[in-house]
Amino acid sequence: MRTLPTVQVALDGAMPDMGLAEVARRRLVVRDSARRSIRRRRMAGRAMQVICLIAVPIGVAPLVALVLATVSKGAGAVNIGFLLHAPTPSGVPGGGISTAIAGSGEIVAYAIALAVPMGLFIALFLFERPGGIASTIRFSADVMSGVPSIIIGIFAYAVYVERFHHFSNVAAGFALGVLMLPIMVRANEEAMRTVSVDLWEAGVSLGARRSRVARSVVLRGALPGVVTGNLLAVARGVGETAPLLFTVASPTFAMTLLIFNDATQPFSDAQQTAWGTALVLLALVLILSVTARMVAWTLNRKTR
Amino acid sequence: MKRHDEVTGQASNHATDPRAHFDDRSGRLAKESKAAADRPDPEVHGAAVTLDDVSITFGDHVAVRNVTLQMPARQVTALVGPSGCGKTSVLRAINRLHDHTGGAVRGSVRLGNLDVYGPDVQPEVLRSRIGMVFQRPNPFPTMSIFDNVISGLRFNGVRNKRLLREMGIAALHNAALWDIVKDRLNQPALRLSGGQQQRLCIARALAIEPEVLLMDEPCSALDPVATAKIEDLIRHLSGEVTIALVTHNMFQAARVSDNVAVFLLGDDRVGELVEVGPTDRVFDTPDDARTKAYVTGHVG
Amino acid sequence: MNGPIASSPPSPVAGSVAPGAGGDRPDRLRPWHKRRLLPSSPLYAIVRWGAAGLFAALVIGLVVSIVSQSSQAFAHSGISFLWSGTWNPDAGDYAGGTLVVGTVITTLVAMIIVVPVGLGISVSLSELIPPWLAGPLSTSIEFLAAVPSIVVGLWALLVLSPVFATDVEPALEGLPVLNRLFRGPAYGPSVLLASVVLAIMTLPTVVALSRTALGGVPIADREAAMALGATHWQVVRRTVLPGARSGIAAAITLAVGRALGESIAVALVIGNRPAIPHSLLAPGATLGSAIVNQFAEASPGLGTSSVIALAGVLLLLTILVNVVGQLLVRRRGGRRLLGVRGAVV
Repeated sequence: MRTLPTVQVALDGAMPDMGLAEVARRRLVVRDSARRSIRRRRMAGRAMQVICLIAVPIGVAPLVALVLATVSKGAGAVNIGFLLHAPTPSGVPGGGISTAIAGSGEIVAYAIALAVPMGLFIALFLFERPGGIASTIRFSADVMSGVPSIIIGIFAYAVYVERFHHFSNVAAGFALGVLMLPIMVRANEEAMRTVSVDLWEAGVSLGARRSRVARSVVLRGALPGVVTGNLLAVARGVGETAPLLFTVASPTFAMTLLIFNDATQPFSDAQQTAWGTALVLLALVLILSVTARMVAWTLNRKTR
Repeated sequence: MKRHDEVTGQASNHATDPRAHFDDRSGRLAKESKAAADRPDPEVHGAAVTLDDVSITFGDHVAVRNVTLQMPARQVTALVGPSGCGKTSVLRAINRLHDHTGGAVRGSVRLGNLDVYGPDVQPEVLRSRIGMVFQRPNPFPTMSIFDNVISGLRFNGVRNKRLLREMGIAALHNAALWDIVKDRLNQPALRLSGGQQQRLCIARALAIEPEVLLMDEPCSALDPVATAKIEDLIRHLSGEVTIALVTHNMFQAARVSDNVAVFLLGDDRVGELVEVGPTDRVFDTPDDARTKAYVTGHVG
Repeated sequence: MNGPIASSPPSPVAGSVAPGAGGDRPDRLRPWHKRRLLPSSPLYAIVRWGAAGLFAALVIGLVVSIVSQSSQAFAHSGISFLWSGTWNPDAGDYAGGTLVVGTVITTLVAMIIVVPVGLGISVSLSELIPPWLAGPLSTSIEFLAAVPSIVVGLWALLVLSPVFATDVEPALEGLPVLNRLFRGPAYGPSVLLASVVLAIMTLPTVVALSRTALGGVPIADREAAMALGATHWQVVRRTVLPGARSGIAAAITLAVGRALGESIAVALVIGNRPAIPHSLLAPGATLGSAIVNQFAEASPGLGTSSVIALAGVLLLLTILVNVVGQLLVRRRGGRRLLGVRGAVV
């Protein structure tokens, strides 16, 4: 690539006719091209925009249909008795899903008991000790959050069920906890990162113990993010089926398993129960996610 | 030089006597093109900008009002004043960037004889006649140095590879960047230093051969050395293009501009143009008391 | 050039108060997290290190237990378990080849559906639709990301599958050229239905993440393009989309990972026939769906071990995808930061 002498001359301050000629010629080329191509450019752009916009109904329609179907089919099944009565065998009327709700609640409680404190402490560890160990843990947390839930179910089976030779809600809670943990760790750490290192340093340099600084500076600053992240992780855990598949004794002990079991039955009352349970589950999960966002919103406003 | 591109081929034949053929060719273009409003104006070769009673509002908030101002062709006009007095809003009215940010422009803005907000004006074509350099260097982060320079040409439908290369190199020369980047044209633009990035942005704006170059505090993110280089560049370019330079730095305005327009905040917090004129005159013997106070450092 | 003020100043307070400062160099010269300040309370240290250690143990335990439990299967079939053979426990054939193929096909088809649709929606939400509509729309789509997979599976099995059998699949068979992909009886549960289900499940994630990435492209970049005479679409195509590509890549990677590993919903709609599907309308099986269906009834010993070996293969696949995705994101990341730093030099 060689330089254009005319331009260099222009740069030296002199303004010979050649320089202006070049400018005029080039200016004409661009103007001409801009004018000639504008129709084509606009049409092509509009075509692409239409294609993008068409994707909106294509993508949104199934999601809306899915929620509407769950609401309309589930609404027929859900009533007070459905929530409070134990399941009955197919064909026997009056059954409910009380055992499944209680079981899911118990399992999620175990999972929370395991994952929430651990998630907090691991995140504090990552926050306070940047370095090789921390980045290894962070990396494994990222990879762990991508591990399919069915594999975590098998892991819980191997660790608990096979060893103690019985199915148990504790094993299921363990599985869900392992599933939720990496999500919580990353969410907590992100939240803590919003608290500046300066603040931590100021706290520690004032002579406070690390644990006190963690409690009163880091956690307080990170609270909205921590609560939101943990609630979203719980919402995800509540809806999981695969980790419970090989750990819970009976499908009637967890809502998701009940849906899985009843969906494949040829009886209409079983399918009706599945829809009802799905509606309850969907409502629960949506309430959790909405709460998570509202918590973040209100706490954020308060601290600022 | 052999050329395959039709447009270039014709144009290069006329290169020996530019003015005459430029006008001649513009005349011919008038018959070819329907979009008459966007034609480069043969009379004002480096078209001047004229603002007549321009007010800019964002919703209920009036940013600046009643600006009447002429920017002479191929000179540097500095828009100075404290922050928040509407200098940048005025600048962005010239290339219709307010179209997308909800700003309403009233009054008349003209580029040469063209009414910028006229009904037949296509904003994209209008903008291809006006270059713009922003406060912070903003080269396209995903493009190489050279792709940045020729991006404007590509946007405007120039496809001829040879032409792109030629004009890109010329623009880099014009921005005094060629010697620095000639060996790394394909590297990401963000590898350059801040000052070099800003000069790259200037090269990018120059590549479309603008008639007017809008510069919005181009040195505010740069150190003194980089600033001095940009100022040199502005002086060099002023013989070729009309430059509108927004700055809050009085000394910069005094160093590089031919004309200066002083903006201040009115009593009701609305920006106003208080004085405009040749730089020497405005700085030495300001007409307006407020200007005097401002340029001597008592206000703002 | 950088005076003592410009280079990050060591906090004088931190330096002077530190009582534990000793050793070979002054405390204020250490990185902040290594400064010896008041001794950490032993309990807090134990808890933090304990939690980190426990997490490491969990990760290692997960890998070790899957590997060790699947060793019997690999001893039986050799490493070719990964790619060859059929899954037919009745005949004593345990091999994952067909399931790997099934997994890859369903994921691939799902991505062919979800990537264009998801990107189209993200671009629409972030660039084309007015904010008063785009805001609520994207919030609702993000909430739909929380819909449990079992609910999607239930709907797909009881509502979508009959529609596929009576309308969609016959229509696809009538397509010119493409109908080579869609042959065989329209039956409902099929590889195609499973892919569609995966696409529906991953769509909210793809949209949410790509939209965030698109919205994160600085206004300065857009205006730079606009000021050069770019049309609205040129701005989107040449600056916004490239600027968001690392975020979009992350979104797609996440979707691929989720599609590979989804088991329950797929098990409900894929028809569960562990053979290479001859058409997208044929029933098939994936690693995940096979684990769901086979684990409970697997014979102790080799049977169970083989199912766990399937889990091992699946684990390998997803880790691979995740690592590649993270490398992609990291390679692209931080460039904007570099630019800002360059500007302040």
